[in-house]
Amino acid sequence: MELFSGLSFSVLCIQILVGLSKATILFIVASGLTLILGVLRIPNLAHGSLYMIGAFTTYSIATAFSQSSLGFWVALLLAPLIVALIGLIMEQGLFRFLYKRDHLMMLLFTFSFTLVFGDLVKLLWGSDYRSLAVPEIFQGSYTLLGMPFPRYNLFLLLLGPVFAAGLWFLTNRTLLGKISRAAAVDREMVGAVGINVNLVYAAVFVLGCYLAGIGGALVAPTQNISQGMDHSIIIEIFLIVIIGGLGNVWGALLGAVIFGLTDAIGILIAPQFGIVFPYLAVISVLIFRPKGLLKSIW
Amino acid sequence: MKSSLKFFCLAALIACSLLTASNAFAAETIKVGIVDTYSGPASTYTNDVRDAFALAANKINAAGGIFGQQIEFVTRDSKFKVDLGLSAAKEMVMREEVDILMGTINSALALAISDFAKQEKIPFLATFAKSAKITGEKGHRYVFSMNENTAMIGKAAATGLAKLPYTTYWIAGDDYEYGHAVAEGVWENLKKLKPEVKLLGQSWWKVGEPDFTPYITAMLAEKPDAVIIATGGRDCVPFLKAAQTTGFNKQVPFYMHTATEISTLKPLGLTAPEGVIGTANYHSYYPDTAENRAFVAEFEKAYDRTPAVGALYGYITAQFISKAYAKAGEVDTEKFIDALEGLSVDSPVGEVTMRAEDHQVMLPMFMGVTTKVEGQEVLVASDIVTISAEDAMPSLEEIRKARQL
Amino acid sequence: MIFGVFDKKSLPLVALFLVGLIFLPYAVPRFYIYLTSVILVTGLLATSLNLVLGYGGMYQFHHAVFYGIGAYTTALMLTKTSLPVWFAFASAPVVAAFFGLVIGLICARLSSLHFGMLQISLGSLIWAIVYRWYDFTGGDDGIHGIPVSEAISTTTSAYYFILVITALCLLLMFVIIRSPFGRILQALRDNPERCEAIGVNITRHRIIAMVIAALFAGAAGSLFVTLEGSVFPELLSWTLSLEILIMCLLGGWFTFFGPMLGACLIISLRTFAGNYTEYWTLILGLMMMLTIFFLPKGVFGFINELFRSGSPSQPLEEGSNAAD
Repeated sequence: MELFSGLSFSVLCIQILVGLSKATILFIVASGLTLILGVLRIPNLAHGSLYMIGAFTTYSIATAFSQSSLGFWVALLLAPLIVALIGLIMEQGLFRFLYKRDHLMMLLFTFSFTLVFGDLVKLLWGSDYRSLAVPEIFQGSYTLLGMPFPRYNLFLLLLGPVFAAGLWFLTNRTLLGKISRAAAVDREMVGAVGINVNLVYAAVFVLGCYLAGIGGALVAPTQNISQGMDHSIIIEIFLIVIIGGLGNVWGALLGAVIFGLTDAIGILIAPQFGIVFPYLAVISVLIFRPKGLLKSIW
Repeated sequence: MKSSLKFFCLAALIACSLLTASNAFAAETIKVGIVDTYSGPASTYTNDVRDAFALAANKINAAGGIFGQQIEFVTRDSKFKVDLGLSAAKEMVMREEVDILMGTINSALALAISDFAKQEKIPFLATFAKSAKITGEKGHRYVFSMNENTAMIGKAAATGLAKLPYTTYWIAGDDYEYGHAVAEGVWENLKKLKPEVKLLGQSWWKVGEPDFTPYITAMLAEKPDAVIIATGGRDCVPFLKAAQTTGFNKQVPFYMHTATEISTLKPLGLTAPEGVIGTANYHSYYPDTAENRAFVAEFEKAYDRTPAVGALYGYITAQFISKAYAKAGEVDTEKFIDALEGLSVDSPVGEVTMRAEDHQVMLPMFMGVTTKVEGQEVLVASDIVTISAEDAMPSLEEIRKARQL
Repeated sequence: MIFGVFDKKSLPLVALFLVGLIFLPYAVPRFYIYLTSVILVTGLLATSLNLVLGYGGMYQFHHAVFYGIGAYTTALMLTKTSLPVWFAFASAPVVAAFFGLVIGLICARLSSLHFGMLQISLGSLIWAIVYRWYDFTGGDDGIHGIPVSEAISTTTSAYYFILVITALCLLLMFVIIRSPFGRILQALRDNPERCEAIGVNITRHRIIAMVIAALFAGAAGSLFVTLEGSVFPELLSWTLSLEILIMCLLGGWFTFFGPMLGACLIISLRTFAGNYTEYWTLILGLMMMLTIFFLPKGVFGFINELFRSGSPSQPLEEGSNAAD
């Protein structure tokens, strides 16, 4: 409790900012999951694995280009595309045949992917952990309210709204978004009016995987890149998607912010039980709004 | 009924094939069963233990083995899970019929195996698990520790820190057994050595915490003279990274066990923070003796990487096994244990002894400060102070108290 | 239909298996007795999950919590109190069932994924408390060297104890599935709307099913203590919960003995493949994919179907095999 007595306004502000920058990555990854859940109805546990693959690929590409200061940016561009390609192969090769299966079956099918991907990552990259330097222009930190705030976190903080706006544009203003929203509600109807639903499904799945890859690439410079990253994020993003409302991109944003903030502020209030706060938030949301905060497509 | 009979035959067939899959009897060898985590981040440390053990065992075998018997070893991946590891340990004892159990970085698993070893009367040589309970509170005749433990870290660190001019401290660390044990160990000993020290406060984070910035900001706000970071294993790397990003190391000096160790510094390369005080049992460049240089050269030749602290543990374990059997004169568990008690072997850090009373190996600890060296890709420890094993070991009085003797 | 239920045809077969298991210690080395014990305990846990998952159609995503609670209850009773041993064992299922009731009351009105995720949150909360409460639960180090009664401390005696309790639990679960309550539960899975229309209280039935499943999971937990003499927080982890879900799937979740077979398959795989490769999880993943693709009802489900094709008079709807 020592921390609580020493809690000042500036510490609280920095803590909120850090929580929000963490929420950005959670939001990006969770929005991919929620798109796939909403449109394809696949509870994709392998989403965390794709995020991990994104981080490892980013590491490999960035170190391959380590002579140039652009290494990380090249990786940020390429790694998610590689992850998206893996997604395309998964969808076209396997998932496409299983859409009529029950959710539990799909869940376990995607879980078998997490096992396979986990071991493949170990085969390809070994089991050591890796660490990637923050890109040069974001190294160091700014001083806000007398407290250091890492520049990279600020970059993440600014990126969050950009992605939110981009996803809003994509789902509300483009044809793909409109069709996929319609397909989420009534697949047969969309098929009946002559639209190739399979193509829409593939596109949404690939987009979702791409977002997981972006999340992995962005998180790479901030933490250890290691096996087990997949496990630690997958439960978090599932909970975010559930409290936000299944299939709702804005819900993913709201859920990520709630998760990031309860985590950061929980640390201040009771560091011993900081781990418990996000779960408590989820439980209270689900008890009062069992279908999530925003409108669920399910 | 006919169809059910068919099914029963099928099931019986499967059962039989599983049974015959068991191994044939082993030849005249000394068999060591290693259970450890070879998946996930912890394997950064455990691979070195296994590889150095293999290297030393091969050398012993090439020289004719132990009175003609070869050392053979089998490994099992526990994936950092206690149930998997315990099952694997039982499998190696019951089916592979190993003579010695070894391994594991996971303290909970080490304690579980230790209990099993006690029942089965099989020696268990713990490598890398840091819990002081292994040879302290839960110690018994069949368990030995081949590395430093939290009590030794605490004592060694306090000895080193007491010489530094800091009086107000903040403690922060991993919110699990290791973190709390190290923090308590350092603080209790520091208070004894330097009564004027004052603790301003503590903060604890969950294991695997991805972002340390909020904790660092909170600590900076309190302006302590120095900070004790009780973080272990994989969390060391992101913490050092966050320290570098926020400039924490430039504003407040901090101590962290293994901060100077290559496993921690290597992933960070030149972006690792300078001026961090750390302790470690081993450096490939210190002590700069002929034995250490030879060991490093041999390890690098075999595995194409620099040996980290785990390599020391693996190496001395092999030495202890071979020397204890040689002294016992035959492959007999009770005689092996009697021989191992109080035994000394040569190692890259000089002669090390297995303390007879509590089965805890006596290793010196090196305290240093992270520094960049021209032309090197990884930071090294400078201004190294050696804390002798005698200064770091918990007293026999403390051991007796812990074991309630 | 042979393994879907005990019936006149499969009863002798089950009896034969049981006799085989009784004489197993006379026929195989000690390690296989231990391994069979592990399979029985894990299989009992998976079967208790299947009660709500396969028969109840509920997304019980964090069943391991009840297993861990059972194990910790026995462990704490044995180490912290001087109550008789039988009491330590008897209290495990009761405490687990109580937690089943609490979690059931909170979760049961939710459906499918929401139900599962709320359960994961609640379960993770309990896990965090066990993981953190050093003075009481031993924290992340767990409790080791638990003094189980002398009578069941050797591999063989522990095996017989486990065998008897597991057989009893399986019999009880079987009776429950065949009871009117069990039939309502399966009807709820297959057609909740119709059940509600004829006045069945869905929520109440689901809560009762959870309590029963938790009870048996708690019993499995106390058997784990008998077997290993240790408890640790991983017993309540969600990865273990997923593992037992896979066991149900692989064995076949519309069959009574499916989960037991699944446990046998997975534990054998990790024990024997684990000797040769660290990558046995890769094999498991591929096996699961193939199962889902080609045997969506699991191994026993597939066998059932195979034998059923010879007798077309049987009903063919999904799940009907379980309902006899």
